[in-house]
Amino acid sequence: MGYGEITASKALALHFLCGVGLAAGYGIARLGCDVSLVADPARTLRLLLVVEGPVIIGIYGWVRRDREHCSYSKAVARGLLGLPIGALLNAFGAIVLGAPVGLKYWLSTIYWSSLMSLFTFVPAVCVFGTSRTDWQRILAYSKPNEGVDCVISLPAQGAVIGAWLGAWPMPLDWERPWQEWPICVTYGAIAGYSVGMFSSAVFVHLLGRKVHVKDD
Amino acid sequence: METAGGSKWSLIRPFLVILLVHSLAIYLFTRGFLLTRTELASFSHCSDLTHSPCSSISSSHRRSNFTPPPDESPDELHQDRRCWTKPAVDRLVIIVLDALRFDFVAPSTFFKDKKPWMDKLRVLQKLASAEGSSARIFKAIADPPTTSLQRLKGLTTGGLPTFIDVGNSFGAPAIVEDNLIHQLVRNGKRVLMMGDDTWLQLFPDHFNTSYPYPSFNVKDLDTVDNGVIEHLLPSLYKEDWDVLIAHFLGVDHAGHIFGVDSAQMIQKLEQYNSILEEVVDVLKSESGAGGLHENTFLIVMGDHGQTTNGDHGGGTAEEVETSLFAMSLQSPPASVSSVLDSSFCHPDLDGRKLCVGIFEQLDFAVTISALLGIPFPFGSIGRVDPEIYALSAHTWEGRGTGTNDCQPSSDLAAWKQNYANALCINSWQVKRYIDLYSATSVIGLPTEDLNHVSELYSQAQTNWSDTVSSGYLPMGTPHRIQDSEESPFQQKIDAYSDFLESVAKLARSAWTEFDGTLMGVGLSCMLVSLAIHLLAIRRLNILCKPYQNALNILGNYFSLVSPLLLVAIRAASFLSNSYILAEGSVANFLLATAGIIRLQRSIREWKLPTDELFFLILSTIIRFGIEIGMSKESSASTFLFTFSKNIFGINEGDPLLTVLTDIFPIILLFVLAIMFYKFISGICCWPHFRYILYFGTVCSYLLIALHWASESNLMPISLFVQYTGRNFAPQVVYAIGFGLLVLSVLSRFLDSSRVKPTARMTVLSLALVSSWSPTILILLGRQGPFAVLIFISGAWFIVKSWREGWIESTRRDLGAFVIDPIPVIQWSFLAVCLFFYTGHWCTFDGLRYGAAFVGFDHFNIIRQGLLLAIDTFGVSHILPILSIPFIITIQLQNSKENSAEGNTFLYLTQVFLIYGLITATTTTLTIICVTIQRRHLMVWGLFAPKYVFDAIGLLVTDALIFMASLYYY
Repeated sequence: MGYGEITASKALALHFLCGVGLAAGYGIARLGCDVSLVADPARTLRLLLVVEGPVIIGIYGWVRRDREHCSYSKAVARGLLGLPIGALLNAFGAIVLGAPVGLKYWLSTIYWSSLMSLFTFVPAVCVFGTSRTDWQRILAYSKPNEGVDCVISLPAQGAVIGAWLGAWPMPLDWERPWQEWPICVTYGAIAGYSVGMFSSAVFVHLLGRKVHVKDD
Repeated sequence: METAGGSKWSLIRPFLVILLVHSLAIYLFTRGFLLTRTELASFSHCSDLTHSPCSSISSSHRRSNFTPPPDESPDELHQDRRCWTKPAVDRLVIIVLDALRFDFVAPSTFFKDKKPWMDKLRVLQKLASAEGSSARIFKAIADPPTTSLQRLKGLTTGGLPTFIDVGNSFGAPAIVEDNLIHQLVRNGKRVLMMGDDTWLQLFPDHFNTSYPYPSFNVKDLDTVDNGVIEHLLPSLYKEDWDVLIAHFLGVDHAGHIFGVDSAQMIQKLEQYNSILEEVVDVLKSESGAGGLHENTFLIVMGDHGQTTNGDHGGGTAEEVETSLFAMSLQSPPASVSSVLDSSFCHPDLDGRKLCVGIFEQLDFAVTISALLGIPFPFGSIGRVDPEIYALSAHTWEGRGTGTNDCQPSSDLAAWKQNYANALCINSWQVKRYIDLYSATSVIGLPTEDLNHVSELYSQAQTNWSDTVSSGYLPMGTPHRIQDSEESPFQQKIDAYSDFLESVAKLARSAWTEFDGTLMGVGLSCMLVSLAIHLLAIRRLNILCKPYQNALNILGNYFSLVSPLLLVAIRAASFLSNSYILAEGSVANFLLATAGIIRLQRSIREWKLPTDELFFLILSTIIRFGIEIGMSKESSASTFLFTFSKNIFGINEGDPLLTVLTDIFPIILLFVLAIMFYKFISGICCWPHFRYILYFGTVCSYLLIALHWASESNLMPISLFVQYTGRNFAPQVVYAIGFGLLVLSVLSRFLDSSRVKPTARMTVLSLALVSSWSPTILILLGRQGPFAVLIFISGAWFIVKSWREGWIESTRRDLGAFVIDPIPVIQWSFLAVCLFFYTGHWCTFDGLRYGAAFVGFDHFNIIRQGLLLAIDTFGVSHILPILSIPFIITIQLQNSKENSAEGNTFLYLTQVFLIYGLITATTTTLTIICVTIQRRHLMVWGLFAPKYVFDAIGLLVTDALIFMASLYYY
């Protein structure tokens, strides 16, 4: 097994923990603090962020590249630093695409983009750091050939595409509270992220088998 | 010019074919879908009656028989009474209950199942079923479109309003046609209005007194109703009105929000029941001899029905069936009551027999006019309704004949004589309208149908003369006339009714029915045109093939599929009315998405994506511009001021802000001029032409600046400068623009110098853009320079970010296209966004009517229409399409490949084809969506205007592309 590879069971566990973190955050918000995404998006997003943030940074720090030069704590620090940068990028993207700006929304926008950053930017920063070749490969990514790439980029792509698709009910005149920014976009992102995690787990499994066949 | 792929005609031909097919498709579909009717500006007058064949008889009859009641004979009242028909009632109370379904009023015994919302208006049922009553319930049939505004227009004009009533109103909803309210006011009737403020939009200065309440907020069930209730009962005790109109909205709003089967709806109906009870009590208590309401007529009616979901607008039975309750406060003679149709009778809840008549809303205006004795509205095509006319029949016996010794049977005969006379006037008036309409309208009526109704009319007319000569000559002895079915008056009534019915049928077929076949054929033509488009693109690929290094048929799927997906999403979004409303934001969303896809591609190639990032920032600016424009639509235009007030803390009257808003556009204008200079000085050929172009453009810009300066009140300007700046400067700008256009076309065809095609194309397109841009700038007003600057920089970033990918894309990313479609799609989306950015949107009040009067004070339909068209399509169609060659030329100038140079025209053709295909695809989807939604509530408010804008936009695009191809090749 090559350098930086990841076993299927490991990938599965990783995604499982991420999913559990997300579910736990939502559960705490729902049961513990009695807030829901629809009623109070800012607080719920903050709770999700607080619960899911450590989980993702912790887990992806654990599968970091270049273990000789990079300690676990350094990876975690990278992740923490990457969180606001990724949030900025995501917020820029959202505003370009038409997310409302205004006093009423800026808190939710900040929390939402931080959450998106957790889904997209933070894992990559935790794992790759500032390694140029790795970033180039993951951005120019066309065919998954390494397990870690899969584990990082599939859920990220899923989250972005999910959020993009999640915007479609917003212009409709149904006058439901969940059509507000960023509620349905968050649902879309989480759904896309989950699909991405699932497919990543499947992919890594298939990849592992292929490697086995080759080894044999 | 011989190009690589054959003669230039073989490249131009597809554009011509596509233009023709599109024109045919749009023409056919429009004929089937958009019903048009021309509004005539003629009015009926009292004195017109002398021209009618009925006039001599009726007036002599009146002279001989009419004895004004001694107690009320002021001169003007006497005058009023001599107009057209004899007035039957003195005062009229019209209570409109918006969206009143037929089953709200009729007893539940008329229906199979009893529903919770039935039998709530018991007071009307009781009055209608009372013994010897003068009250009656009608099932009133409305004509689609069943929206309040169109219905009120139909009710008062007596016509069939269509989606496009071609007239001179130019945007304002006020009714310019002759109508009931106008006639009332003209003939000295005082009209009191309360309730829905739509009435005031339609009749801005007709009412003596009005108590309007906003109808805008659908969620508000009570404001309008409570306002009406507050004024209705006190007004009934007053003498200062002749016609009272009270329009309740609660039921309509309750239906829209909660549906028909809801507690709120039942509450509303019960509330109305108690109000109507009170109204009837007041009227009855004052109906004694000499009372206020001795001769008052009460009408309670709906303007249209609603479905059980509360929707209305379409033509289903639930929507068109509303009800009308009419009550005269004095009972008609028993014999006349036999006129009332008794075919629809059922026992009511108390077991008494209740009969229901059928009433066409088309007949409302003329029936009310006949009752009140005022001229019938000129464009009315209804018939005086016999049953309502019979309800007020009591007045004839006392006043009409002036004799008290009539037998009961002669009551009926006298009524029939009167009614026949009213129908004679009625038919003459309708015939007059139909004749004038078919002589003057844009799209007339079918000739054979016209001949048929003319025949019926002359038949009825000879009938009338016969009657006059045989039955009527012994004057003043109406009781001799038989009241049997064979009586001449009955025959006459039948003949006239025949005529009026066939006219109504003809009018309905012309003005209210979609022609499904034509629509289907039009739609198929549109689909065929899409196929032609694709074939043309494919043919071009084959032509280009030898020049390509390597053609990878499959290519990169993502880069090919994603742009197609974007266009498909935009096209499919038109299926929803909300998406059409938010079209600007959606287009911007997709524009930004296309930008992000490019950004991602550029990052993937590990390049610093500056151009892509700038493009995204630009689309963010457009996005805020569109949002400001949309809020302008809903609220006031002061939004910009409140916006800047909130952001910068500047007051509306702040001199700094005024200076900024006045100076900023002019500065931008200079920036544009400098940019233009930079462009033009980079051109290699045609030095003289270049200078003329530059000189003309700079002159125009100076004049535009002068025009804006003259409009601002920053500095004191002499009156002369003000006048020249206001009207003269724009006219000169238009003239310069036209001159430059002619010059560029001439020089293109006279020039025979052999220069490189790319350089030549650059000059030509620059000439076109510079001849159009000043006109477009001045029409857009002060936002113009900024919008054009956005377009130019947007276009620049699109081309620049594409340039890097060019060489590569010719090798790798090709699928069905030689040209990478993403920039073309971005270009097209940018154009769409600019349409919304510059404050347009796809409804008729979204047209910027002010632009039509830049430089002119007086209205001229062709001149102002042209200016309005240039304003509407300028920055979103004309500029983007004419500057498309820049995509190619800037590209090729930097290209090292020689083969690319020879392919210039092939590339240009392909870009034009892709651009046209994008527009055609969205328009096709609009057409499909309009076809699907043609019975939708919003069809006339939203889908049809969208269709009109898209269809015209498509034809403009096709024509521009065709002409541009003629010009460039």
